[in-house]
Amino acid sequence: MKLMRWLTALCLLGMTGFASATNYTLWINGRTGGGTIGDYNSFTYWGPSSTAAGVNKKAVNWDGYNSIASQSYHIRDALDCFCTGSNWCYIATHSAGDLMMGYTLANYGGSARMKKNATPNSSGVCGNSDGTSQTGWNIKWVRAASGAGGGSELADYGSWAVSDPLTKDLKTATARAMYNHNDTRGIWFYMYAGAKGTAYSGILPGQDDEAVAYHSSGGVAGSSGGSYCNPSDWFCNDLTLGTAANEGGSAKWSYHSVSFRDDSEAYNHYTSGNWQGIVSVVRNAMVNSAL
Amino acid sequence: MPSSRNRNDKPKRRPAAAPKPHLRRLALAAAAVAVIGLLVWSAMDHGAPAPAATVAQAPAPRGPQFFGQVQATDLPLPDDRNNRRRQLVENVQLADHTYCSYRTSSQYPVGSRPMTDNPDQNRPNDPVASTNPMRLDSGGADTGVQLQTSQSRVYMASGESVAFSLRAVDADGKTLPLVITRALAQGITYAGTRQTPQVSIPFADDGTGADPVPNDGAFAGVLAPAQSGLAAFNGTIRTEVRYNVGGKTGVVQFDVIYTPELPAVWTGAPREAVEEGSLVFHLPLDVRMPGRYIVNGRVDDARGHAVALLTFNEVLGPGPNDIKLTMFGKLLRDQTPAAPLTLRDVDGYLLKENTDPDRALVPRLQGKVLTAASHSPKSYSDDEWQSEERSRYLTEFGKDLREARARLAAFDPAAPLPPSECMPATR
Repeated sequence: MKLMRWLTALCLLGMTGFASATNYTLWINGRTGGGTIGDYNSFTYWGPSSTAAGVNKKAVNWDGYNSIASQSYHIRDALDCFCTGSNWCYIATHSAGDLMMGYTLANYGGSARMKKNATPNSSGVCGNSDGTSQTGWNIKWVRAASGAGGGSELADYGSWAVSDPLTKDLKTATARAMYNHNDTRGIWFYMYAGAKGTAYSGILPGQDDEAVAYHSSGGVAGSSGGSYCNPSDWFCNDLTLGTAANEGGSAKWSYHSVSFRDDSEAYNHYTSGNWQGIVSVVRNAMVNSAL
Repeated sequence: MPSSRNRNDKPKRRPAAAPKPHLRRLALAAAAVAVIGLLVWSAMDHGAPAPAATVAQAPAPRGPQFFGQVQATDLPLPDDRNNRRRQLVENVQLADHTYCSYRTSSQYPVGSRPMTDNPDQNRPNDPVASTNPMRLDSGGADTGVQLQTSQSRVYMASGESVAFSLRAVDADGKTLPLVITRALAQGITYAGTRQTPQVSIPFADDGTGADPVPNDGAFAGVLAPAQSGLAAFNGTIRTEVRYNVGGKTGVVQFDVIYTPELPAVWTGAPREAVEEGSLVFHLPLDVRMPGRYIVNGRVDDARGHAVALLTFNEVLGPGPNDIKLTMFGKLLRDQTPAAPLTLRDVDGYLLKENTDPDRALVPRLQGKVLTAASHSPKSYSDDEWQSEERSRYLTEFGKDLREARARLAAFDPAAPLPPSECMPATR
C-alpha cells in the first residue's frame, strides 16, 4: 500500500511539470441578465466585481431573455473554457440560472468536450489546449440561490407582463418537463430558498421570495409545483433541510439538498445590483467553500 | 444556523484572478512542496479515500442538512478562531460528502440508474396535475376558489394530441359550478414572425372524449394540432381557457411544445441480450434527422416494481441505428429484481442545439415494450462501473478531501477529524 502511495506521489510530481490545475467559480445569472455576454469579468447582474465570490470568479452571462435551449451554448462555452482538462469549477446560480445549469448537465453532461486553455476570446470561447477531449465537465458542486428549476407560478399566471421566450420556459409544467432534473451526473445541487416575499402571496404557493416558491427553490420533485413552508407555519407542509422527504412525503430531486431555508423570512429574490437577497447567502458560502 | 451565514467576507487564500504566467513558476514550486508533503503523508499510516472498490448497494442520494455542526470540545475559543475552525470542519465535511457520495453513486453509469433516484420519471405518461388559486381575468387571484387542472402531456410528438381538464373547488374541496366561456389555442410567436391561426377547443363535461365522468363539474378538451390550423407549427402552443365561477371571470393557460417533424421512426422488433455482464435492450431506430438523441426507458420486475431508469444519450447518424438501453449488471445484482424484467414506456427526442424548440420527439412507445428472458443472476457482473470520467472525479475529490483535512489538522492538530461518510475513522 505504501509503495502505491509513493508511486502515486511520484507520478503527481512528474505531472506538475506540465499541468497546472486551477479552480474557478462560475456565476450563472437568471432572468433579465445584464452582464456582457462573453465577458467573464462582467458582474453587472450580480454587483461590484470587486466583491469576493469564490476562487477565480467568472460571470457566465446569458441574456436572461431568450429560451434556455437557445442560450445554453453560452454556459457550455464557459464550462468548456474553465472546467476541462486539469481545471475544475464550482458553480453558483441564481433563479433561472438553475434551470439553465440543470438543462445543460442533463442534456450535454455526457458529451465529448474539447479541453480548453481557459483563455477566452471576446465571444467567451476559449482555444483548445492539447487537442484532446474528455467526457463532460469538471464540476465539484453547484449552489443554487432561489433555483427556478421547477418554474414559477408568476410565469403560469402571466404576472410578468412581458412575452419573452424565457417566461414560457419558466412555466412550472414546462420547466419540470424540460429535462430529467435528477440527472446531474452525481453532482450535488445545494439549494438556498428565500422567503421574504409578500407581493405575490396569492399566486406563489407556500413560502416565496417574491419570484420563486419553495417547491422550486427547495428542489421538490414532480411534474407540478406545490405549497411548502417554514416549520413555523402549521397549515402548510414543511420544506425539510437536506435531502429528506418533505412533510407530507414529497421527494426532492436526486442530488439536490436544501442547504438553507429562510426561517426568518429575511431574504428576497433580488440582487439589487449589490449581491443582495438570497444571493448574499450563497455568496458567503462560495467565499467560504469555493477554494 | 447554516454555514453560509457564518460571515467572513474577506477574500480567502486564493487570488481573485487566474494565476498569471509569471506566477506559474511559484505555483509549480508550491505544487512540488505539496507533493513532498504528500510523500510524507503517504508514509503515515492513516486512512485515505480508498479506490472505488467494494461499495454496498447504492442508497438514494443523501446529503447533509448543514455542514458544520461542530461538537464543542476543549476550552472556549475566541470567536474568530472558533469561526475559523468551524469553517474548516465544514469544508472537511463538504469534501467528504462530495467524495463519498460520488463514489457510491458512480458505481452505476449515468445511463442505468435505480428508479429510486428518479422519483418523478417513473410514470412519464401520467397527466400533469396542479391546483392553484383562480387567476382573475382582471388581474390578481381569488384564493377562495382553487382551480384543479391537468394536461396529459407537455412535449408532443408529431401527430399526438393532448387533453386538458379543469375543475373549480372551494377551500373544503367542494366542486363549484363552472362555465367555460372561451378556449382558444394559438402558437406563441415573437417579433418578426407571423401570428398563427387561433384554434377553438371545445370543452365539455358530458362524459365523452377526454371527459371520463359526465356532469361532475370537471370539463375536458382535446387539442390535436395535426388536425387543425396549427399542423405546421413548430413551437409552444398556448391554450387559453376563460371560465366563470361565482360570477367572476378567470383564465388559465395550458402550454404544450409541439413539432410536426418526425426525426426518426422505430423499425423492427426490439430484442434483449446479456452483454458484458449487463442486460441490454436493443431498439432499432431509423434516423431521418441525424444528431444527438436522448431516449429513456423504464424497467419493472415481475412483480411490477419499478427497478430502473435507462437512458441513451448519443449522437446518431442517418439511417438504421441501434438504441441500446443498458441495465447495468451490478444494478441488477444489487436490486435483485424478480425476473423476468420488462422494458416499458420508452420516450425520446432529437436534441437540437441552440434553437427553440430544442427537440423533435420520436414516437412514444407507451406501455410494455419487451419482456426479457429470465437470465440467471450469475450472468450479470457485480463489477462497479469504471470510466475515465469516474476516475477523474474520484481522484480530484479524494485530493480535495485530503487537502481539507490537512488544513484542519494544521489549524488545530489536537482536534479529531469529523467522521467520514464512507471511510473508517482516522487519527
